[in-house]
Amino acid sequence: MSEAVMSEGLWLWLTLLAIGSTTIMTRGSFILAGEKGRLPPALQRALRYAPAAALSALVMPDLLLDGAGFDPFNPKLAAGLVVIVVATRWRNPWLPFILGMGVLLVLRKGAGW
Amino acid sequence: MESSFRRGAREGMRDFLPLSVGLVPWAMVTGIAMRSIGMSPLEAMGMNLLVYAGTAQLGTLPLIGSGATLWLIFLTAMVLNLRFVIFSATLAPVFHDHRFMRRLASSYLLVDGMFAVGADKLQRSDDPHWRWGYYIVPSVYCWLLWQLCGIVGVFGAAVIPQDWSLEFMTTIALTVMMIPMLRERPMWVAALVGGLGAVLLRELPLRLGLIAGIALGIAAGFVAERALSGRASR
Repeated sequence: MSEAVMSEGLWLWLTLLAIGSTTIMTRGSFILAGEKGRLPPALQRALRYAPAAALSALVMPDLLLDGAGFDPFNPKLAAGLVVIVVATRWRNPWLPFILGMGVLLVLRKGAGW
Repeated sequence: MESSFRRGAREGMRDFLPLSVGLVPWAMVTGIAMRSIGMSPLEAMGMNLLVYAGTAQLGTLPLIGSGATLWLIFLTAMVLNLRFVIFSATLAPVFHDHRFMRRLASSYLLVDGMFAVGADKLQRSDDPHWRWGYYIVPSVYCWLLWQLCGIVGVFGAAVIPQDWSLEFMTTIALTVMMIPMLRERPMWVAALVGGLGAVLLRELPLRLGLIAGIALGIAAGFVAERALSGRASR
């Protein structure tokens, strides 16, 4: 095995450990402390917005940008809109994946977008 | 006579079982998504064990795949997991009379679904054995389900053709997670500002635009909440 691959593997495991440490730090924050700590109410309310802001910050660049610039007619955005409609209407957990991937593949391979 | 641990366990399983069915596709998709960025089966299973948090796993995959710096990956995972600080604060009194190892296990196993289903009953019960049974048995079941279905995804990914853009499953998963959060208007504002912020600030070095976008989104949601509640009370 080459040295580059080795260090890449080790680096990945370190990265996974770092991500895993956030699981224990957040989930254990108050449970591990054991005492009846309290979160300041203002902070608690602000923290509620963290997941929505973060998920959107990860998703929107992938949907809106094709390559470098903004492109309103790209297959990923079309598939993403289908996913949003499907997930809003129906509760079936498989459907967004099947239809979203279906639309992306049809547009990329069939229509050659 | 049945012990209170077993009674708690039975009630916990009855409450959690229906919800757990919905975890199956998530675990499989996460398994496939980890393979789609080039992780080996061993690394993917390792991530499932070490991280055991679907949102943080799916959210950091695009960053790992594009070779982002460690601190950016760490910060993103932290933000995606921040909600657990609230859950942890809520459940801390439930576990405060248990030994450290049990509190460590309950922390590692704390997932959204179990919190949503059980937080209320756990807080109201004054029997520590019942609480422990009610929490730990469904939580361990959930962990097993996640690991096993994850393995199905990890090895199932091999039979799917390489050119099917499987990495897009990550984006689909993150979108589907976000939708139920958008019930209130301030959440919309947080998501919109966070997303557009990340798009507009993408030229910042070290992909700082992602963290800056998230910070702007949180601030915007908080400000919107104040503005909207101020208007409502007038």
